[in-house]
Amino acid sequence: MAGEGGKKKPKFAVWMRKKLVVLFLIVLLAFAGLGVRLYFIVRDNSEAYKRQVLSQQQYDSRTLVARRGRIMDANGTTLALSERVYNVILDTEALLEKEEYLEPTIAALVSKFDVDAQTVRSYIATHPESRYYVLRRTLPYEQITAFRDLTNEESENYDPLITGVWFEESYRRTYPNGSLASSVVGFTTSDGNGLYGLEEYYNDTLSGTAGREYGYMGDDSNPEYTVIPAVAGNAIVSTIDGNIQSIVERNLREFNDAHENEWRHADGAHNIGCIIQNVNTGEILAMADYPDFDLNDTQNPEPLYGRPMVNEYGNYVRDALYEYTYLTPELLSTLDNDLLMQQYNALWRNFTISDTYEPGSVAKPFTVATGIENGNIQGNEWYECNGYLHVGDYEIFCHNVAGHGSLNVSKGIEVSCNVAMMHIGNAIGVETFTKYQNVFNFGLRTGVDLAGEARTQDLVYSADEMRETELATSSFGQGFNVTMIEMITAFSSLINGGYYYEPHLVRRIVSDSGATVRNIEPRVLKQTVSQATSDRIRLYCNAAVLGEEATGKTARPAGYLIGGKTGTAETLPRHLKKWYVVSFLGYAPADNPQIAIYVVVDRPNAADQEYARYATYITRNILTEVLPYLGIPMTETLTDEERAELEEMRAHPYEIYNVPIEGTGGEDGDSGANALPDDLGGAGEAGEGD
Amino acid sequence: MTGNAVRKTKEEVRRPVPFRLLKTKDGGADGSVRRAPRRISLGYVDYSLLLTVFFLAIFGLIMLFSTSSYEGGLKFGDPAFFVKRQLAATLFGVVLMFALSIAPDYRMLQHLAVPAYLFSAGLILLVLSPLGYEANGARRWLKIGSMSVQPAEVAKIAMIVFLASLVLSMKGKIVTWKGFAFFLGSALPVALLIYKVTKNLSSACIVMGIAVIMLFVATPGYKRFAAMAAAGSAAVFGIVYYILHYADPSDSMRFARVLAWSDLESYSSGTGYQTLQALYAIGSGGIFGKGLGESIQKTGFIPEAQNDMIFSIICEELGLFGGLCVIIMFFLLLWRLMIIANNAPDLFGSLLTVGVMGHIAIQVILNIAVVTNLVPNTGITLPFISYGGSAVVMQLAEIGLVMNVARRIKT
Repeated sequence: MAGEGGKKKPKFAVWMRKKLVVLFLIVLLAFAGLGVRLYFIVRDNSEAYKRQVLSQQQYDSRTLVARRGRIMDANGTTLALSERVYNVILDTEALLEKEEYLEPTIAALVSKFDVDAQTVRSYIATHPESRYYVLRRTLPYEQITAFRDLTNEESENYDPLITGVWFEESYRRTYPNGSLASSVVGFTTSDGNGLYGLEEYYNDTLSGTAGREYGYMGDDSNPEYTVIPAVAGNAIVSTIDGNIQSIVERNLREFNDAHENEWRHADGAHNIGCIIQNVNTGEILAMADYPDFDLNDTQNPEPLYGRPMVNEYGNYVRDALYEYTYLTPELLSTLDNDLLMQQYNALWRNFTISDTYEPGSVAKPFTVATGIENGNIQGNEWYECNGYLHVGDYEIFCHNVAGHGSLNVSKGIEVSCNVAMMHIGNAIGVETFTKYQNVFNFGLRTGVDLAGEARTQDLVYSADEMRETELATSSFGQGFNVTMIEMITAFSSLINGGYYYEPHLVRRIVSDSGATVRNIEPRVLKQTVSQATSDRIRLYCNAAVLGEEATGKTARPAGYLIGGKTGTAETLPRHLKKWYVVSFLGYAPADNPQIAIYVVVDRPNAADQEYARYATYITRNILTEVLPYLGIPMTETLTDEERAELEEMRAHPYEIYNVPIEGTGGEDGDSGANALPDDLGGAGEAGEGD
Repeated sequence: MTGNAVRKTKEEVRRPVPFRLLKTKDGGADGSVRRAPRRISLGYVDYSLLLTVFFLAIFGLIMLFSTSSYEGGLKFGDPAFFVKRQLAATLFGVVLMFALSIAPDYRMLQHLAVPAYLFSAGLILLVLSPLGYEANGARRWLKIGSMSVQPAEVAKIAMIVFLASLVLSMKGKIVTWKGFAFFLGSALPVALLIYKVTKNLSSACIVMGIAVIMLFVATPGYKRFAAMAAAGSAAVFGIVYYILHYADPSDSMRFARVLAWSDLESYSSGTGYQTLQALYAIGSGGIFGKGLGESIQKTGFIPEAQNDMIFSIICEELGLFGGLCVIIMFFLLLWRLMIIANNAPDLFGSLLTVGVMGHIAIQVILNIAVVTNLVPNTGITLPFISYGGSAVVMQLAEIGLVMNVARRIKT
């Protein structure tokens, strides 16, 4: 090649080759250095970095909210359901990916969701990397369709520049019937947990199982998603009959309205409660307390107005003269948040299971039943009532201080004689009396399937604590505390042949698809008394409504025979003789009881509170509507007077609540009024609000 | 007759085979023409070089697919988005490589040196025209039809050709300080253009690095280079010292990178994030790695992992073993290039090869030094493996030139 073309070509000289080798060695050295560096990184940091890498992993996973199960009444009417709603989520990072996205998206947000453009802008400016910001919450589907249209590629309004907004599915709990059975149903917190009532007690059943969406790396390193779908909660079918419940609630409300501001500037009573129970199954057909509240708007202060104020422990606030303080809008506005919440808690709680009080004379059938069941009395005994009985160091009065004279056991119930009861109690003795209180479940929880049942164990006397005076007062229902649910459940067993059914409000648990998951059958927990005793008690209680001198006469609805017992109980402190809890505990029909009804009016708003008629009128009105509804036929021919009365009731159903109580004589004045010495307290000294 | 024929054959083999001979199958009256298949052979083909390059390119595509499928799927809805584009560029590059290797004698390029130089400079300036377009916050590309070209990559190969030619033109004058200055100074305008127009300091540095390496080989003696190395080191040390003690990271992105380099953990949420995540990738890979495709760090933790951080994903998936294998492959490649340079038929061919060798060596060393945090983050890609169409096409073209040189090696 040399000399080709006659020109000597410059060659790659030997020294150049040497230099190239030097260069190569330098490169080799550098490579070796890099290799060593790699080796050290792996040797020294492998474990730490492996952990670091794993700890950085935040597999994009998202909880999928499960639809909460419905709550239905016995007729299938929906009391609570969860609607699908959407949260509008802003993904700032996606939005800021291209500058031209910003303006159209903000414009669309403003026009479709009515958000404040300024707020959105400032959020975007301060959080450019945010991926999750809730712009609007719980919008129904109709409200998001317009925006969805803009982001849907198939739609003609499609605007590709609108981005960074997505919708998170969620559910909103709604109560189509508003305040119906409010304290029974309960409600849910914003995070979907039940609070009060069925919602709380059956929370696990209703909530279902949240699903999850996992993001992970697929085989080809694609981000893939696995969805474990949420399992919708089961629905519950309540034993509550919405129709009966509305009848009851309407009557309680009408009663309240009739007596509102009558004596004090307050509601018609501190509390008005009513339970209707199927005596042969323990199922609760209606359970209501007044005031109720709107389940869709639980923090509406309206129902609070006129209610007695509670302190930070939930007890009623009373001044030195034991006067209550009633809530007004002005007073509410001065309360701090904790105290305000206490007022709401007092409103939301279910009076019929959570509040305790001294039952008064409605306890008398239990005393008699205890005596007969144990053979302490035969039922043919006669007692002499002089208006009081000397027990221990006390003179304990009958409500009729003039005395009932000579009377037998049946009459003792009919006229509600305290002296007769004290004699019977004395015959029974402390051991048997306390044992039977236990048999009747007083002082024990009934196990009703509602959240918040009060504990009353310390509110009844134990055998050790009970002396003769306590025995005497307990025999006519003073000195120990009960809840309404305890009382009516025990009473049902007393008149149904002695079968103590567990009270319950849920009949069936149904899956989302409608299949029955579980039937809740009536459950007999125990036999309280024998059939014979039960029959006897029913006779006595029939007499207490139907008898000549019966205290419960006014509870009887026209055309029906019912039985029951009135009650009027003093509250503490006893010397005031001002604040009473009046009640009626009855059943219908008289000869073959189907339902038990218990109405309690806690401190009616009246100067003279001791009349059981506050409760019996409510009972009569409710039964007049409920018994025909239940298909229980009238057994009695209506007198002309009753016919006119029924006509009148149809025309003006609640007029009876406006009839002045005091003027109508003392036939129902069956209370412990004047009965108890001032210093005789109650078991555990518990009052209301526990 | 026989002896004559043998002698003639030897002559033929020694002589570089002119390109036109390949086409003359009918030949002349000479009997040797009948042995045309042997005489018009491709000459010396360095199969080791070819295999190494193919290995790196295919391995690069596999690793690129593994690394980029997450981001491709996420951003473009196609896990193979990046690898498809890279595959197209690689195929084009391979065609270009073979075309250049069998194309007319590389020595023709000596005459094209100045036009190539001017052409590359013009291309860089074109970025400023409407043909240029911006991606990832930097205006570095030219859009020609559906193709995008990074002029800086073209400039590197053009610079190699130009400088090799310049050495020949300068002859002995190059050995003086003035010659040094002229040689390096002639590379400077293009480097400055790359830096100023495309804001690509790393490519500018590579261009200058190539110039220094070619000068090193083309001039005798070590003292000046030692002095230059010392001065350079001192300057680097001084600058780094200044940045570490007096600079505010908000002043400049480059300051921030130096600060982050010195203390990754403190800057882990900002400038140091990428490098720190790369270290996590390397460290967590262990000796044999998590397995091909099993990288966690590529799933959004190392931003743009398919670019200059791909080596860390290789280490994460294939471990220290895989990383060292890649280094060894580059070592083999450079070794073959050195062999070819040492045996090239003339100085021009040698210098061309040295330039290519320098180019690849600089990029490999700096790239791996960055992912192992030995130097501040510079954004230099790993040849044949990192994502980048222009880069892989030009690197394959450089190999094509080297093969053209190799073909003419006398065996």
